[in-house]
Amino acid sequence: MNPRDIARVVLSTGSGRVGAVFLAALALVSLFVLVRFPLDFGSTRWNNPAVWADNPKAAAPAWTRLWAGDGAVGHAVFEAAQPSTRGLLGEGEQRDYVFTYDYTGGKLPTFMALAVSDVRFTSRPPVLTLAVRRPDGRVLTLSQTVVRGPRPGEPPPYLRHQDAPLRISLSGDPEALASVKEFLAQEYRVNLAAEALQGKVADAVFGAPSEGSPGQFQPLPGVYVFTLQEVAGSPSDATGSVKLVLGGSVYGVMGTDALGRDLALGLLFGFPVALAIGIATSLFATAIGAALGILSGYLAGKTDLAIQRLSDIWSNVPLLPILIFLIFILGQKLWLVVVIMILFGWPGLTIVVRSMVLQIRSGQLVEATQALGASKGRIMFRHLLFQIAPFLFAQMIFFTPGAILAEAGLSFLGLGDPSIPTWGQILESGFRTGAVYVGYWWWVLPPGLLIVATAMTFVLLTLGLEPVVNPRLRENR
Amino acid sequence: MNAPASPSPVPSPIKGEGQLALLSVLDASVVFTARKGLFAAARVRALDGVSLHLDKGESLSVVGESGSGKTTLARVVLGLQRPAQGQVAYEGKDIGRASEGQLKEFRRRAQGIFQDPFSSLDPYMTVGQIVEEPLVIHHVGSPAQRVDKVRQALEEVRLTPVSEIAPKFTHQLSGGQRQRVAIARALVLEPELIVADEPVSMVDASSRAEILYLMRELQERHGTAFLYITHDIATAYHFSQRIAVMYLGRIVETGPTRQVIGNPLHPYTQALLQAVPEPDPANRFRRRGMLAGEPPSPANPPAGCRFHPRCPYAFEGCDRDDPHLLEVTQGQEAACRLWKGLTAGARLTERAPGSAGEGDDRKPPS
Repeated sequence: MNPRDIARVVLSTGSGRVGAVFLAALALVSLFVLVRFPLDFGSTRWNNPAVWADNPKAAAPAWTRLWAGDGAVGHAVFEAAQPSTRGLLGEGEQRDYVFTYDYTGGKLPTFMALAVSDVRFTSRPPVLTLAVRRPDGRVLTLSQTVVRGPRPGEPPPYLRHQDAPLRISLSGDPEALASVKEFLAQEYRVNLAAEALQGKVADAVFGAPSEGSPGQFQPLPGVYVFTLQEVAGSPSDATGSVKLVLGGSVYGVMGTDALGRDLALGLLFGFPVALAIGIATSLFATAIGAALGILSGYLAGKTDLAIQRLSDIWSNVPLLPILIFLIFILGQKLWLVVVIMILFGWPGLTIVVRSMVLQIRSGQLVEATQALGASKGRIMFRHLLFQIAPFLFAQMIFFTPGAILAEAGLSFLGLGDPSIPTWGQILESGFRTGAVYVGYWWWVLPPGLLIVATAMTFVLLTLGLEPVVNPRLRENR
Repeated sequence: MNAPASPSPVPSPIKGEGQLALLSVLDASVVFTARKGLFAAARVRALDGVSLHLDKGESLSVVGESGSGKTTLARVVLGLQRPAQGQVAYEGKDIGRASEGQLKEFRRRAQGIFQDPFSSLDPYMTVGQIVEEPLVIHHVGSPAQRVDKVRQALEEVRLTPVSEIAPKFTHQLSGGQRQRVAIARALVLEPELIVADEPVSMVDASSRAEILYLMRELQERHGTAFLYITHDIATAYHFSQRIAVMYLGRIVETGPTRQVIGNPLHPYTQALLQAVPEPDPANRFRRRGMLAGEPPSPANPPAGCRFHPRCPYAFEGCDRDDPHLLEVTQGQEAACRLWKGLTAGARLTERAPGSAGEGDDRKPPS
């Protein structure tokens, strides 16, 4: 049976068609990820908290707003590389970055943060002042920040915040707290202790104090104009970019975890990883199993005895405890997991292939080929291998979900490779931080469902391949 | 059994002209051991002291019923089965003890055609690849020359047009066509000997005669020696110059085909010939002579003459004395005590000729 026939038979069954569509989707997503993601995504981004600092923590996916109806507020990020206006101010220059935010009400933004990066100055460090004009016309100056000045002996120009931006978390900034406290006292005649305002800077900016309950704020919808004023010591001084973040209560397509990591990115990266684990493991385990099975069945005698007793012993070694044990000793590396699964994955197949080869070798095909003078190698790998190839192909696909599930299981036990995020690891971090108990379903369900769907893909394909291996199941069309 | 590293020269039976026989089998025995329970083992002598010879260009038929050891004989002759005793000499070299390398050289010169054209051809190879395989294995010719040889071989077995047949897989062919592919594969190396093990028994009756005629034609054209193994004595009559009849691992009668068929000496040969149906309406009320009983198990052969429990002529002594081949008439040998003049003594069987449902036309041994 040639590959085209196999494809036709697989596609003639319902399960084969669904499996093929799923597999195509898996492959496409994996390809997209391989093209668009850096290969060291795990270590440089996923496990780097600085990357996720500006994201809301444990936020539900944005689309939950469609049916949640609790007025969740979206995540807003304003970034600018050029000021809206600039003007000379004495020797220096004043640059205004203006951001307009249309607040529709509902929930109050969860936090506010300001970030400045790539600052370069020659004499005086720039001074940054953030003020907001609210829809009710009131103006609140939130904070004033000075970039760190020259160190003794440092030659100009002075470069600041090249790698990591200067990040001011306005929600926890004491200066912002103080100005909010003063603002409330002046405008509303509400006197609140600094402790009562802790973490409520954003609430105070976007709301008016409730009449009845002090410390609570009513959302004040409307257009908010944020102005970040930068006073530079000289017109030649430069600032790379400024960023204002208004934390939402929902985020992105798949939400975020407790560290603010975008789960959509982690889940996407899991596609090629899962596929690679499954395919590498099944390919090599099947190759080893088939080769040893053919050798064992065809060469018979002592070779057969040695290979079969070895696979008897080998197949009785429990895989998961061995994996846990070896990973504890040798370290949490993904390739190690794959290698161990290959090393322990072949014995079952060897036993089955041997029995198939025993049947074929007593047939006339082998006898006729021997009579031609063919070498043992040619008989084994030009003739016997081809006779069992459809079975091996089905076996390979059948073996794939096992490898994916084993890796997910290991990750779930906390033995995953920390440099490569997998669905199992996302699931594990969700359980470890108790996401299940506080109802962060978007953190736990998608990775679980993806693991199931991927395993299912290969199970469906195996079902579709059954008529290839067992021609009696073939439908005549 | 300790096989010597190199084949020892075998004293081959010398033909009248003083010529070395192409193939000579001398007293070859094959023993299969079957596990019986935990400790006991049954030893089956599938081949028990068989001797025969075949000259260049000659055709010899081996006839016998299932279990007579004729397929084992074919396997021994092709070097697929090493005999426990005795020698199988090809041009004086013992292939039963040959090394792998020597066997490979032998296999370039001797080819086999097997019973089942459905399982002796690789279903994952095209006809062209199958016929080319012997050339690839023995490194014959360049790829272009091989294609040429394959085309010639396919033309010889009349699988034409070649360009249409060669890219096909075997499941696209009929049984007769497949067996012709097998014949083409056997021919492509231009061998000196072809061992055909029941080549037509699994082919449709309609293609049977065609294949037999084809083989005879090829044998005559190329002067290839043929060892033709069959259970059908009628096809043997048409195909071969000499015939050997096997029963339970032994040759019981051998001689020129016409002589053996015209005047069978061994009671078993007589019974085999009786079993050949003749499509004559006059026969429709005639009871045909049939051998009583089944062939005994080769694991537990009867003492004395192996045929005596079923022999209509068995008499005292046949159950003790094991007869050997004896030249009875010119070139015709039979292993039966009747021809040793040992007919004295009481009859062993109650089945006198004609009393056990045989026809009335059984020839008494003359």
